[in-house]
Amino acid sequence: MGTPVVLSSAPSMGQLFAKAALTARGRGGALPDTHLTRVAVAVDPAQVADYAEVCRFRFGDTLPATFPHGLTFPLQVALMADRSFPLALPGLVHVRNRVDVVRPISVTEKLDLEVWADRFAPHRSGATVDLVASVRSRGDEVWRGRSTYLARGASAPVASVPDVPDLEIGDVAQAALWRVPDDAGRRYAKVSGDVNPIHLSGLTAKAFGFKRAIAHGMWVKARALAALSGRLPSAFSVDVAFRKPLFLPSTVTLATGQREGGWDLAVRNAKAGTDHVLATVRPL
Amino acid sequence: MTRKAAIVGGNRIPFARSNKKYARASNQDMLTATIDGLVARHGLAGEQVGEVVAGAVLKHARDFNLTREAVLGSQLSPATPAYDVQQACGTGLEAAVLVANKIALGQIESGIAGGTDTTSDAPLAVNDDLRKVLIAANAAKTLPDRLKLLSRIRPGQLVPDQPRNVEPRTGLSMGEHAAITAKEWEISREAQDELAVASHHHLAAAYDRGFFDDLVTPFLGLTRDDNLRPDSTVEKLSTLKPVFGKGEGATMTAANSTPLTDGASAVLLASDEWAAEHKLPVWAHLVDAQTAAVDYVHGGEGLLMAPAYAMPVMLARNGLTLQDFDLYEIHEAFASTVLSTMKAWEDPGFCKEKLGLDAPLGPIDRSKLNVNGSSLAAGHPFAATGGRIVASLAKMLHEAGPGKRGLISICAAGGQGVVAILES
Repeated sequence: MGTPVVLSSAPSMGQLFAKAALTARGRGGALPDTHLTRVAVAVDPAQVADYAEVCRFRFGDTLPATFPHGLTFPLQVALMADRSFPLALPGLVHVRNRVDVVRPISVTEKLDLEVWADRFAPHRSGATVDLVASVRSRGDEVWRGRSTYLARGASAPVASVPDVPDLEIGDVAQAALWRVPDDAGRRYAKVSGDVNPIHLSGLTAKAFGFKRAIAHGMWVKARALAALSGRLPSAFSVDVAFRKPLFLPSTVTLATGQREGGWDLAVRNAKAGTDHVLATVRPL
Repeated sequence: MTRKAAIVGGNRIPFARSNKKYARASNQDMLTATIDGLVARHGLAGEQVGEVVAGAVLKHARDFNLTREAVLGSQLSPATPAYDVQQACGTGLEAAVLVANKIALGQIESGIAGGTDTTSDAPLAVNDDLRKVLIAANAAKTLPDRLKLLSRIRPGQLVPDQPRNVEPRTGLSMGEHAAITAKEWEISREAQDELAVASHHHLAAAYDRGFFDDLVTPFLGLTRDDNLRPDSTVEKLSTLKPVFGKGEGATMTAANSTPLTDGASAVLLASDEWAAEHKLPVWAHLVDAQTAAVDYVHGGEGLLMAPAYAMPVMLARNGLTLQDFDLYEIHEAFASTVLSTMKAWEDPGFCKEKLGLDAPLGPIDRSKLNVNGSSLAAGHPFAATGGRIVASLAKMLHEAGPGKRGLISICAAGGQGVVAILES
């Protein structure tokens, strides 16, 4: 393990995004081996209730499977906003996310969080980097997350990282139609703290080259998982590829198929049929 | 073909005082968690049970299919049918009776009966005048028509209608009704406080000896009902000011009345064959049940006195007397309700004139009453109380050995009552 840095509270995301934008120029080099950590983090049940409502999970004793991502995300952003990080945060695109729920986590557990960067790799349209999160409770790892970000046009220093195969899914059939409203990004930003301007409004999204605001990939992932409430194993891994951005507002379909004790999922544009999100859920 | 339905298990979440630990939990959240706890404890994940029947008294319009939605979000097979019932505070027991009757008739082999209520996440209705304008505006064909209608909205109409715990026909709260009955039956303050203290002591003792270990699943940080006060004493309660009734004779306080509470409960019922196949113990059978209703508006009867009327009908049908039971569970909506009901059963005049009996039903041995505590200590999330009582009583009878009889009596808003007999 690299340098551990313990933070006493969650860093402020608005400030981090601003800092990252101001220090975007002139970045490069290798990944820092910093590990950002927070210890004995108590979960606020009211925050879980807000998150559950926006993502359509039931609010109860068990944390929604994607909730710990929100706990570790500020550490990811802090790591990427720091000058030691080789890629500029503005313009990074979340292309893949894998979550391992090792066991259900209770809202009353105190959690130790750890985040670091990994796998700086060349990609056909630039370079990718993984931000890895590990969540422990009383010493045991209970949750893992791996977020892959793409920096278009960037180059990775070494090509020694093995390729990650593209995510493939089998046959799926439409299970639900979602009318995703204009304010979906703002609502998720409020409960997750992910205030990246590309999600908040058409105007702020245009400043970053998107024609309209786009939905948070992690919200789409969360809502797809929420649709499987009661139908998931107690320990599972959910791997998601983010394809075309989901512009707001949109009408999309969720398609599901049971496979290998788990599920294959697709969230697609209801009219064009283009893929927004593809996912596999497998028991661990 | 008739057979008796078996009670083979139960689960509830601890009950929480209004706007405390469960302030953000909806009825669907609590019912789903309660069903999942029952499923986990009895190994029913992915299984289809015959039917799930549950309800809520305070219900949002969006929860029209509450129980089915809870089933779909639970670990039960999505092929499990479900429906909602609502009979005020009788909901939970009525749900159990409905499931038991279908099992008795051979229409289903297993079922779950439950109930949930939240007074924290209660529905707020749009002001009725505003609602009518909005409906008319929505139906209007042209924009000018629509604007004309919307211009009729006044600031006062934007204040939502608050849910109130009053009887629609009398305008009195349930506590005010109970206070009238308490006065009529001359129920003393001291007797009410004694019953309340006993409820707290009994419930605390039951928790301490682990009685609820296989009946309660912790939820949102609660492991016991947070209304429970194990150190409650008659002296302490005697200092409280009355909250229902007026003047000298007012006896009902916040301590001898149940508080507003949030929670959910569920009971697993089955045929003996299904229970054996699933290697689940038969705690007790639901032998019989009876409902009754009284005219509390014009008829001069107390709002919560209907169980007094249901009881002799059920006893006669089963050839039993009120004394033929080993355990009694009389729902403590108010301490005075329990005491008024028992006093009525002992009263020759009431039993003759109102119940048409030759002799009074007689007294109940108080040492057999609510022995593991009841609603005054646990709290009373309206629709969840029946399931709490059925599961607890069935387990108590099972512990006492075969052939033991238990009696349940639950009063409900609207002048209704549900009573039932369980036997191990």
